[in-house]
Amino acid sequence: MGEIAALSVAVSAFATLIAALVAIPGALWIVYGRSPLRGGLLAIFTVGLGLPPVAVGLAVAFAFWRSGPFGWLDLLYTPYAMALAQIVIVVPLVGTLAVVALRGNDTTLSMQLGGLGIARRRTLRLLAREVAPGLAAAMLAGFGRAIAEVGAAQMTGGNIQGQTRVLTTATMLAVGKGEFGEAFSYVAVLLGIVALATGVALTLQRRWT
Amino acid sequence: MDVIARALLARRGRFTLDVAAFHADHAGTAVLGPNGAGKTTLLLALQGLIPAAGNIERPLRCAAVFARPAMLRGTTLWNVSIAIPKKLDASPVERDRRARVALEDVGLADAADADARTLSTGQRQRLALARALVLEPQGLFLDEPFANLDADARPALRALVASYAQRTGCAVVIATTSFADAAALCSKAVVLRAGEVSASGTIAELQNGVNTYVAAMLIDATIRL
Repeated sequence: MGEIAALSVAVSAFATLIAALVAIPGALWIVYGRSPLRGGLLAIFTVGLGLPPVAVGLAVAFAFWRSGPFGWLDLLYTPYAMALAQIVIVVPLVGTLAVVALRGNDTTLSMQLGGLGIARRRTLRLLAREVAPGLAAAMLAGFGRAIAEVGAAQMTGGNIQGQTRVLTTATMLAVGKGEFGEAFSYVAVLLGIVALATGVALTLQRRWT
Repeated sequence: MDVIARALLARRGRFTLDVAAFHADHAGTAVLGPNGAGKTTLLLALQGLIPAAGNIERPLRCAAVFARPAMLRGTTLWNVSIAIPKKLDASPVERDRRARVALEDVGLADAADADARTLSTGQRQRLALARALVLEPQGLFLDEPFANLDADARPALRALVASYAQRTGCAVVIATTSFADAAALCSKAVVLRAGEVSASGTIAELQNGVNTYVAAMLIDATIRL
């Protein structure tokens, strides 16, 4: 159980971090950039929100299949393939929520701080402080989606005991075997992890305010 | 410590602002004109907050009050104290004290510990004025600073700005649609129309002139009396 829960957290936390590294700069570009292509990225994020995890799992599984285009990497049925699928699933969510968080700020804020003679570097620090809680909430939502996802995890990880078995795939297997007690304990741990992550995020938000 | 501009040219989107000459000192210069005439653009250009061509001189330490002041997450007091320059002689205690004094000056002492984002529009304008004055500017750029204030609070805040300018020699530029603001704080005014100066001179000259916009402002001010 401990091993399964730890792998769930590790894969999803890693996927969320990588997704944030892609999605947050993308969101910054969408909100503050000048290029007309910004709308295209926002459209990709928005459409991506509705992307079925099963489709993502299928695409990743196909790409990493032994005879597939990236088969030589030998990554299928490893945590890395699972993380990759989760990254694709989570980027649109983190990106869209980050755009919403950034747009919630007064667009003239940096200009107004400049108008008080506040230097560029300090202005950036103050702006970061303003947007941090919104971005943290976006990442939390991403983590929640990643760790709760089952279809892609099954297809790309294969639910191999001790290697790629995570809480969601373990639950599915347990239910398939009729082991409801086991299934309930997996789900309880999953809910506990999500509750804990939410609690940490809310505490951080309150401290920042 | 004057604000001087020559051959100023600024663009914001499709709007072009073209001002041949501008001057403001501690006696104050009002920027008048209808909505969309370029008042805010002129203020931003003079402060160097938007790119502009031409020759612009302004004091080293300037402060601005925007028409819709932005509030950072945090208390009213903190929103004021961020504007105090981080000099070596200002300890955190001293910065706190100065911010409190600034809030008292604008009649916002009671709200010092309130969340700044819960303030009303008028209170935000007071906060913005406190935040601008607390850094002891040598140039002050005010964009409709009294627009949302209670009528009985306006004279006190105009007097606050006027006495600060008198005491320190701080140059004052104020964009306003209120003739009372202009007359109370400024000896001179420019009237903008569609990005160009349509009239300029002392307040008295404009009052006695034939500029239709100024005439309309005067009539409006009379009716309000």
